[in-house]
Amino acid sequence: MIFAKLRTMLKELFVPNAKPRPSVFLTMVACQVLFLLLLWLFYPLQLFPTLGEVLASFKDLVTTQGLIQELWASLTTALGALAIATVLALAISYLTALPFFRPIAYAASKMRYLTLTGLTFFMALMLNSGHQVKLSVLVFGATVYLVTGMTSVILTTTQEEMDHARTLGMSEWRSFYEVVVLGKLDEMLEVVRQNFAIIWTMITLVETLYQSEGGIGLLLYKQNRYLHLAGVVAIQLIILATGALQDYLFGFLRGLFFPYSELSVAK
Amino acid sequence: MADHTYKNPILTLRDVSMQFGGEVVLRDISLDVLDVVRPGVSQGQVVGFYGRSGIGKSVLCRIIAGLLPPSTGTVQVANPQRPVCPGDVGFVQQRYPLFNHRTLLDNLLVAAGRKHAPTEAKTRAEEFLTRFDLAPHRRKYPAQLSGGQRQRAAIAQQLLCSEHLIILDEPFSGLDIAMIDEVKKIILEVTMADELNTVVIVSHDLATTTALSDTLWLLGPERDAANQCLPGATISKKHQYNLAEMGLAWQPGIQAKPEFVQLIEHLKDEIRKS
Repeated sequence: MIFAKLRTMLKELFVPNAKPRPSVFLTMVACQVLFLLLLWLFYPLQLFPTLGEVLASFKDLVTTQGLIQELWASLTTALGALAIATVLALAISYLTALPFFRPIAYAASKMRYLTLTGLTFFMALMLNSGHQVKLSVLVFGATVYLVTGMTSVILTTTQEEMDHARTLGMSEWRSFYEVVVLGKLDEMLEVVRQNFAIIWTMITLVETLYQSEGGIGLLLYKQNRYLHLAGVVAIQLIILATGALQDYLFGFLRGLFFPYSELSVAK
Repeated sequence: MADHTYKNPILTLRDVSMQFGGEVVLRDISLDVLDVVRPGVSQGQVVGFYGRSGIGKSVLCRIIAGLLPPSTGTVQVANPQRPVCPGDVGFVQQRYPLFNHRTLLDNLLVAAGRKHAPTEAKTRAEEFLTRFDLAPHRRKYPAQLSGGQRQRAAIAQQLLCSEHLIILDEPFSGLDIAMIDEVKKIILEVTMADELNTVVIVSHDLATTTALSDTLWLLGPERDAANQCLPGATISKKHQYNLAEMGLAWQPGIQAKPEFVQLIEHLKDEIRKS
């Protein structure tokens, strides 16, 4: 009886597009996490630090090296950069409605191929403080990725959508505002969510170049430099958890402000 | 005394042609929709519009709706006649587009707000919600509506802000019998609401559309004297059917009449030939 039930539950997890019950799904996730932890506990790879070492290192990082303060410093810088980059990217993307500005958006999108180190050098020549250089590099890096994502969202606008607005007697600007600006705001937020990870990748690099303000990137650099592998893993896990929390918050905000956005998604 | 007379023009197309990249899609289309007046009856007009898939029906609809300027020719609407502008002609496209980020009530309000002051717009939107049996769904988003509700909402939205002319692109496509009856009822309601209201139905459902119409247009290619196919589709004089003159309009149960059945067969043959 129990085996038959278990077999049905397992079957649910391996059928394409199946919708397992939430309790089954959560149990499966818990089992997968437990399996990974057990694997880590009992079969430690020689190069990879053990769970105990990582936990001890985490405690040390928090108590003696100010992990929380450094994380906060990086997080506020990242959020500031993201806010500025979002405003810039939205402006550049929306301006693609005017043919005059399309080359700018195209160029901005292609600039994501520029290397960060070379960019930092130019920023350092132009700006005075380390903080400004750090912020401007992050803003630049995030903007070019956001513009790429946002313009591709704008390009999904169909003739039918624009015609619909025009048949209601809306001017070209009003149609654009209704269909592209208001109609795709939820998708823009999704682009921001997806590209926030880019800032975390960049911030760790930029903080090592400009060490005066500290940050989690600098902490990571120090752990790497002194081969404190347990510390490296602990910091990576903290960044991972912060990222996951951010993703959740963005999802929450999307549901709160744009309740319609998930209605037509297949579940 | 005749049972109907014709008064002012509602829609006039003169020598409308359309080319895309040198390819002629539509050629020399001239059409007139006049206000048909029946003594003792206040009823608008219904035009059935047929043509094979891909022949240019949607292009002509967009031209009539003022969304696409023709390569040559003119489209005039209203009384007195003036060149069509976007917003003059309602156009309910095949997938019944609505603003997905607005609730149903907001969708109607944004349309009503184009022509009326806020208080009046609110009253009109509420009135249309009730008239189209959508009042219980006012707070829902379009994604939460059924196909039929969405269609009614799209028609209501267009009626709230367009002049008297509305184009319905494939209104019967994919609907069951009960839903088709519902849409037919809505179309009749729209035409009964104002003498000048005119509905153009683009459809492949010949019997249903013809039974509702007083005029038919058949878009297709034409041949010259040497029997060579001319480039681009057109609606020739012989493919503009005045059902009122033929005694095949405004009759309940018309579909059972032998003349009606003959006309449908004739239309099918003409479409096959094109």
